[in-house]
Amino acid sequence: MFKAKLITTLLASALYATAAAAAWVPEKPVEFVVASGAGGGTDIFARTIQSIILKYKLMNAPIVVLNKGGGAGSEGFVYGSASLDDAYKLTFGTNNEYLLPLVAKMGYTADMLVPVTALALDEFLIWVNANSPYTDAKSFIEAAKKGDGLKMGGSQSKDTDQTLASMISEATGAKFTYIPFKSGGEAAVQLAGAHIDANLNNPNENLGQFKAGMVRPLCVFSSQRMAAGPKVSKDMAWSDIPLCKDSGIAIDNYQMPRTVWLPAKVSPEAIAFYTTMLKKVSETPEWKSYIEKTSQSDRFMTGDELRAYTKQDAERATAVFKREKWIVQ
Amino acid sequence: MQNPSGILMTRLTMEIAVALAAAIAGAIVCYGSLEIGTGWGDAGPQSGYFPFYIGLFIVIASCGVLVESVIEQRRYKQIFLTREQGYRILTFFLPMLGFVAVSMVLGLYVGLGLYLFGVMTIQGGYRIGKALAVCACTIVLFYFVFEKWFQVPLLKGPIEALLKIY
Amino acid sequence: MENFGNLMDGFGIVFSFYHFGLMAAGVLLGILVGVLPGLGAPNGVSLLIPLTFTMDPISAIILLTSMYWGALFGGSTTSILFNIPGEPSSVATTFDGYPMAQQGKATQALTLAFMSAGIGALVGVTVITVLSGWVTQFALKFSSPEYFAVYLLTFCSFIGMGSSSPFKSVVSMMLGFAFAAVGMDGMAGNMRLTFGITELIKGISFLVAVIGLFGLGELLQTMEEGLRFDGIHARIKIRDVWEAILSLPKHWMTLLRSALVGCWMGITPGGPTAASFMSYGLAKRFARKKDGFGKGEPAGVVAPETADHSAGTCAILPMLALGVPGSATAAVMMGGLMIWGLTPGPMLFIERPDFVWSTIASMYMGNVMAVILVLTTVPMFAAILRIPFSIIGPMIVVVCFIGAYQISGARLDLWLALVFGIAGYLLKKLDYPIAPMVLAMVLGDKTEDAFRQSMIFSKGSLGIFWTNSTLVATIMTLAMLLLFWPLIGRLVGRLRQQRTPN
Repeated sequence: MFKAKLITTLLASALYATAAAAAWVPEKPVEFVVASGAGGGTDIFARTIQSIILKYKLMNAPIVVLNKGGGAGSEGFVYGSASLDDAYKLTFGTNNEYLLPLVAKMGYTADMLVPVTALALDEFLIWVNANSPYTDAKSFIEAAKKGDGLKMGGSQSKDTDQTLASMISEATGAKFTYIPFKSGGEAAVQLAGAHIDANLNNPNENLGQFKAGMVRPLCVFSSQRMAAGPKVSKDMAWSDIPLCKDSGIAIDNYQMPRTVWLPAKVSPEAIAFYTTMLKKVSETPEWKSYIEKTSQSDRFMTGDELRAYTKQDAERATAVFKREKWIVQ
Repeated sequence: MQNPSGILMTRLTMEIAVALAAAIAGAIVCYGSLEIGTGWGDAGPQSGYFPFYIGLFIVIASCGVLVESVIEQRRYKQIFLTREQGYRILTFFLPMLGFVAVSMVLGLYVGLGLYLFGVMTIQGGYRIGKALAVCACTIVLFYFVFEKWFQVPLLKGPIEALLKIY
Repeated sequence: MENFGNLMDGFGIVFSFYHFGLMAAGVLLGILVGVLPGLGAPNGVSLLIPLTFTMDPISAIILLTSMYWGALFGGSTTSILFNIPGEPSSVATTFDGYPMAQQGKATQALTLAFMSAGIGALVGVTVITVLSGWVTQFALKFSSPEYFAVYLLTFCSFIGMGSSSPFKSVVSMMLGFAFAAVGMDGMAGNMRLTFGITELIKGISFLVAVIGLFGLGELLQTMEEGLRFDGIHARIKIRDVWEAILSLPKHWMTLLRSALVGCWMGITPGGPTAASFMSYGLAKRFARKKDGFGKGEPAGVVAPETADHSAGTCAILPMLALGVPGSATAAVMMGGLMIWGLTPGPMLFIERPDFVWSTIASMYMGNVMAVILVLTTVPMFAAILRIPFSIIGPMIVVVCFIGAYQISGARLDLWLALVFGIAGYLLKKLDYPIAPMVLAMVLGDKTEDAFRQSMIFSKGSLGIFWTNSTLVATIMTLAMLLLFWPLIGRLVGRLRQQRTPN
């Protein structure tokens, strides 16, 4: 097994020698490793990019999409980082790449992958059932301060949703009982059925219920309002949703970057190739329509900017994890 | 009792061996759950609560099987495996084991070629030419079905890498 | 009947040569991926999704759903012929389908399976058509305690299936639960029973276990007996197909019960796997001759197939109306829906009735077409068994291992499949029932999650399973009734005996 690896690495380095002088281009199929199950947000993110690359022929090498969503996505990161100089494994994920190893032993460490680009930021909102008495974030928080607090549903355990719930409690003194479900979609249905009091879903995860007037957004964790557009529900457009920081919850920004990762020791030429390609993807009308349909924020980040962003994001999460005693050694 | 010379294993031996293996598996499950908390916290059972009791149940029930098979010895004094049956199993199992072992190193395509070729020539009595043809066709067919049509990459080894087949 | 009018509009849209062509192509491709273990409906569907980017959503969903039907039918084929279920939901079909094939009744078994699956699917679509509004409301009532109750009901309907030592049944089922627990614990976010092995983080795939336990284990057994498939080596007669079809009315009670179980489990999102197991369990429990089950009883093929397909079709409705995918394939399709610009959810019925009702209309036609296509290919599949064993034997082995590897591309899975193969052989020879293990592996972690979610809801009080709603109390009562059915039956019998002498 070791021998096999040795030979492939030798072969790969031989390829570098010839190709590195010119610009790097992939010469065999590129694997898109998706750190979520089929149909999840990350899956749609990866497959949209695949479809755009195919349509505009941005890369000649074929693309193989592999869903590896086991262990909350860690299966994908373990697979993507299996050999540190493999430029043919592009891993698609979110900030879970650096959050997962903090809370459990995952078989990889966050620094085994480097972020190539982030292409979008997914927003977080407080949602309540449409028949609930809470019409704004203030009344919701007041209710959550009383007694045992409120039931908050979310996707996965010790992940972005539960982290945000903890941050809200810390910032306001509200109390929540957090109930982890398998996906944001499940949390959305549980809220529509009024089995839980609130969830913290991304816009896309609650879109169906929002349109039908079954759930109501209270506020969004962003520093600016969401993009203006037509009314989504009977009386509300995305841009009508107030900011959480204006409603008495002192959390300025809480977003989830949709990020593409490469193994840490991939050559700068290869990274440059993928960065350029993904930049082109982000400029197509198809990408704009994906962003619009999923109500995310269009934000292309790469290089130092992205590294600074992930560092800051990881530090903030680490502080929460420490307080909640989720950190593993 | 049947002719003892043909017997490789009695059922009783096998019952005991499997029950012991299950009990060990149960003990491992118990041990594995100890480190993640086996209690009942404020928010219901902890991670290790169910696995711990599951492991415990496995151990207890395996012991039950053990006692049962010893008490009802007479019922279990049948043959589990005759020599001939054992031989037949091994002629099937060993090539299969070889296939998995070879595939780990050389990849599934090479592994399946060697395996099919070996079984066809040695056990099936086919001529080498015919066996080679069947193996080649199978490999090519599998390659196209999995890698090309359904884009499902299978385990590949150094030979594919040398031939630049990805 | 507003729904009926809508459905007719749907038929109007679907009725075109282009769409029929798509259906046929989808079904045939589906049969292909279904028959090849290792490729399943999710693979096939996700592969076709890039092709659908340029299609209009209606044509796209027709192609994808047709492929899904094809794959379901194909999966039953391998269950019956090789004892290798292609999908979790066709495991129960192996219990009697494979013995039938061994007795030389492969054609009958396949025909029965396809016909009852078709009937199940049609009942399912009819239920969707008639009850679409109500079903959505009903599914919203389901929360964690209700889910737990449904899973418990499935286990209860299945308990007592293995007639050998109760200790062995317990060992088997508990081992299944233990395997299901390996990997990440979704409720607490930490790793369980992985013992530091990275490849175990994703858990032990149920399919790897099934490939080993059923596929490889069965091959070992066949070899030991020196059978070399001679039993299955029967001639194929078209007359057998007709005879099997004509024997269907005999099973009307099983068909009806299984279709009802299937619809119920599809609507209450218990899913097709739970449905097929439960329906098999019920068929055996209410059968006059219980001994035939597991040894090639036709009703044992009819029951799980009918329930599987009626649940599978009914489960499309929650997907469209609520955005909850009932299966891995449905999840992939939902992803497709979003890429095409549609939002699954209650508003889909109002915003795009043409899409929803065309989908439903295409389900009628797609299933009928699938049954016809698959029946015409029965002789072809059964003919596979006539290839000499020294070729087909290793071929099946290879396909089993490829299937095991392919599930998540992990080397460890090859070894795991081998170990499960040996275990399957030994356990079967020593009369350990394997079905409880498989059921526990499939539903184990879902059941645990539902239980622990309920405990968070109730702050640790078990009372939630009785007091949360009348729904949960009803299901729990049903479960308890089923659990103690043998006891109740005996009591009733004794009472009657006492009464007669007086």
